[in-house]
Amino acid sequence: MEYKKTGTTSLLLAATFILSFISCDDIISVDTENADPVLNIDAWINDKPETQVIFLTFTQDYFDNENLPVPASGASVVISADDGRQYIFQEDVLATDGSYRWTPGDGETIGLPGSTYALTVVYGQETFVATSVMGRVPAVDSLTFSKEEDLGFQSDEDFYQAEFWATDLTGKGDTYWIRTHKNGSLLNKASELNIAYDAGQTAGSEFDGVTFITPIRIGINANDEDEDEMPVSPLKPGDSIYVEIHSLTEGSFSYLQQVIAQTDKNGGLSELFTSTPLANVSTNIANQNDNGSPVVGFFNVASVSGLGKRFK
Amino acid sequence: MGALLLLFFNTNTKKALAQTKFTVDGVIKDASDGETLTGVTILIKETGGGTVSNVYGFYSITLPAGAYTLEYSFVGYEKAVHHIILDKSQKVNIEMLGQSKQLEEITVVAETESRALNVKSVEMSTNKLDIKTIQKLPALLGEVDVVKSLQFLPGVSQVGEGSSGFNVRGGSTGQNLVLLDEAPVYNSAHMLGFFSVFNPDAVKDVKLFKGAIPANYGGRTSGVLDVRMKEGNMKQLEVNGGVGLIFSRLSVEGPLQKDKSSFIVAARRSYIDVLAKPFLSNSNFGLNFYDLTLKTNYTLNHKNRIYLSGYLGRDNFNFSDDAGFNWGNRTATIRWNSVLSNRLFLNISAVYSKYDYELGISEDSNNAYAWNSDVTNYLIKPDFSYYINEKSELVFGMEANYFQFNPARTVGITNGEKVDNSLEKKYATEGAVYISHKFEVSQRIEVVYGLRLSHFRYLGAGTAYAYNDTVPGRRRSVVSENTYSQGETIAAYTTPEPRASAKFEVNEVSSLKASYTRAAQYVHFISNTTASNPLNVWTPSTNNLRPTISDQYTLGYFRTLGNKGQYEASAELFYKSSSNEVDYINGAELLSNRYLEGDLLSGSGRAYGLELYAQKKTGRMTGWISYTLSRSETKFNGINRGKWYPTRYDQTHNLKVVSMFEINKRWSATADFTFTTGAPTTYPDQRYLSQGLLIPYNSTDSRNDVRLSSYHRLDISLRVDGKTHTKSGKQRKNLDYWVFSVYNIYGRKNAFSTYFVQSNERSVIGQPIQTEAHQVSIIGAMVPSLSYNFKF
Repeated sequence: MEYKKTGTTSLLLAATFILSFISCDDIISVDTENADPVLNIDAWINDKPETQVIFLTFTQDYFDNENLPVPASGASVVISADDGRQYIFQEDVLATDGSYRWTPGDGETIGLPGSTYALTVVYGQETFVATSVMGRVPAVDSLTFSKEEDLGFQSDEDFYQAEFWATDLTGKGDTYWIRTHKNGSLLNKASELNIAYDAGQTAGSEFDGVTFITPIRIGINANDEDEDEMPVSPLKPGDSIYVEIHSLTEGSFSYLQQVIAQTDKNGGLSELFTSTPLANVSTNIANQNDNGSPVVGFFNVASVSGLGKRFK
Repeated sequence: MGALLLLFFNTNTKKALAQTKFTVDGVIKDASDGETLTGVTILIKETGGGTVSNVYGFYSITLPAGAYTLEYSFVGYEKAVHHIILDKSQKVNIEMLGQSKQLEEITVVAETESRALNVKSVEMSTNKLDIKTIQKLPALLGEVDVVKSLQFLPGVSQVGEGSSGFNVRGGSTGQNLVLLDEAPVYNSAHMLGFFSVFNPDAVKDVKLFKGAIPANYGGRTSGVLDVRMKEGNMKQLEVNGGVGLIFSRLSVEGPLQKDKSSFIVAARRSYIDVLAKPFLSNSNFGLNFYDLTLKTNYTLNHKNRIYLSGYLGRDNFNFSDDAGFNWGNRTATIRWNSVLSNRLFLNISAVYSKYDYELGISEDSNNAYAWNSDVTNYLIKPDFSYYINEKSELVFGMEANYFQFNPARTVGITNGEKVDNSLEKKYATEGAVYISHKFEVSQRIEVVYGLRLSHFRYLGAGTAYAYNDTVPGRRRSVVSENTYSQGETIAAYTTPEPRASAKFEVNEVSSLKASYTRAAQYVHFISNTTASNPLNVWTPSTNNLRPTISDQYTLGYFRTLGNKGQYEASAELFYKSSSNEVDYINGAELLSNRYLEGDLLSGSGRAYGLELYAQKKTGRMTGWISYTLSRSETKFNGINRGKWYPTRYDQTHNLKVVSMFEINKRWSATADFTFTTGAPTTYPDQRYLSQGLLIPYNSTDSRNDVRLSSYHRLDISLRVDGKTHTKSGKQRKNLDYWVFSVYNIYGRKNAFSTYFVQSNERSVIGQPIQTEAHQVSIIGAMVPSLSYNFKF
């Protein structure tokens, strides 16, 4: 659905308006079961000329808020391209965060759009495999900044937002993940996930070969709140914004749709009409042995374009 | 065909004459306002047989020549007795007197016969709520609500406050047929579900079928909610109204031509936006809903009557000049009642019903988006009742539906380029023929058996898609598509739907009943969220999406208790199984999706339970206790490892207690208590990071294997009637009353849902991410309210 958030937001505002004073959203303590950890392969690499990292860790108890995930050490991690080239990822033993790295030589990058890549991870006695096709991306043409009118709530502060301009490549079925860095840090809240299917938001939509639609263009803004849980302006003078378009596959687009469904929770009254049942997101990684250990995570190889600008 | 039928019945009538049988027929009305009365019991003292008036107040009994005493009884009315010498067929129209509100009388009136109806009638799994009872229940924010009051009946559950619709015997909300004067209502909620679209001032009565569904109803696999509107006062002009916290109501009814023609116009409007205006910075902000219900009827002659009724309702929400969202229903029903012969009654209804929503947003002229969606249903339904004799009655007819679905018409302008992203419209027809025979086998045994034969066609113009098979629970992709021209059949389904029920009277005060119902649903409601929202759409069965079929078996025991029969009790067992239920893959895109069917899963369902009900109908203290023990489960390949799991609305225990007490002539109080088992939900047990985002993981891949805390709530209301006489002792012309109510009196925060997220702070690399569990209570406090109501 294009403009998904618009619909949801209007419903939410309508409901809030009536019932905010009697509804409530409280943090509660819940006992979740303990379970055996599962291998998590977080393999999202791209064609940028910089060190590429794949994380191998184990899942942990849901409420284990004290410890970092346990790394899966001693694995062999290799990506093979369909042209026969191999990229061997070396474990960063010092980092103890489960990272396996490959650093390109001068002028070297992984990937050509349209090529197929195969990931092979051997951990213990088991082999895990996945494939991904690198998609293509358009250039980011420009970034603009504007003052927001019609906030829908009262605020003393002026709100400014950023908007990026780019045109989807002609031909149906291009999928993208728009990742934004604000002042050098990746915006990675669930509510900031910004994905596109051609220039729109739904698989099969007709927005092909045109400028990305407004919700995607302004989906690059930080979503932060103050102590009173009131929204704050996404931009302040002096902030820098860097927008990247990463290519996805149909599979990784669907994966991120599922991630949004499972992680982007508005809470409160929105539970009335946005809450879907908790379910495991899919994976494109398979254990070669069908009866072997389960695995979670995803493998995607992206081409990337980007543009940055400072708000003055 | 009509002529042939007439011929058939005419010859039959002649045969009856040869056996010197005669017919008494007529219409039963309320003496005060001329409203026809539905469900009045007519007892023939001499034979012990009888009948019940139909929804238009008509009745017909054929008996051998002789002298008879006819007793007409109906709850809330004084019994009418009529003696006849039946030496020729005759018409007996009856006007019944309502019982006066005088306290002394309430305690003494009402005869056993009327109260024993649940024992005598073959009907089961049915609840009737008259509007007077609904008005007595304490309501959220003081607004009397038809759909919310159903919650107090056995076998009915709801996901939670604020969720629209209701669940009947383990079925989903979209599996209920909701009818307003025979027009299907595709979204029965205002304000997301806090209020229903039915204006109580215009409602005459409400009947809910949970099982043993008569053959003349079809198209849904769960319950049927049949809401009938008032016809309007035939005798004098009457104005009703009320002022509440959320909205105000006003209705006017009266005769157009005395005893011949009447009308009712009823309107409601919410006024939050008006009250809030001074506090808002944006003057274009608007939030309101309104509805208009009207009905008129005209008696052509003593054999023919025409009714016209309509509903128009809209919810509006505007954030600004440039963004708005609105949705609503409109329905129109035209009916023609005709007494073809004194034993053959015909009603033809032609109905139009449409639900639509519109959403628009405009940044500037180069960047805008407009989106609308609707479902339109036209239907025509001739329905015949043939009263063969006092022991035997035939109902038959047909129904033809035409549907038009507009899943999404969307036009976007992005950076000056206009893109039409509309989906194809979908077309379908649904037809059914039905026949049902009610027959009193002996004094103690009565049966109703029948068949509904339904046929559905998914029609062009349109594109039919074929999808690949993939891992269950994942999105399926299109492998081929086929284009069909206008009117061409893309997919067709036929379902014979047998229906049967039987009653065995054990003795004067108790009976056993059993029933079987098969029902088919060809039009599906698509929603994967906990509660539905106005954007959810209806979609037809297609080459991929098959009709849902359900089979329900019930067994019940009914009895009256007490020396005066003042108590009524029942126990019912039900078992329901269904095929081609619909669920969704994780991450399903249900709105404006051309390839929707690739995100749908097909599975089976089952529900079973025990419903206990006891009611006290007379005296100063009235009320009921309802308890349901039940299970509702579904099974889908791709969810819960392909095993059975409870539905979101599964409630093991569901207890409702309603008590109404007449304190004195002016004061009355009502209290109700609800207890239900917490709704099933799913918890994660593990977590992991994917590109810095914390993903919840359930290592057993389960669904709904844990429960929210149990739900309970106590509400009270107090009604004070204005003085009926002035100080000088004269009767006041207008009547008024105040209702004070408190919803959720001990302010319990009943859980609506629990969700799991990482904390809203930005995560820091190298630091563990903090997770939280949240519980949402839609009503987390005590809610007092006040309303003023008047009538003159």
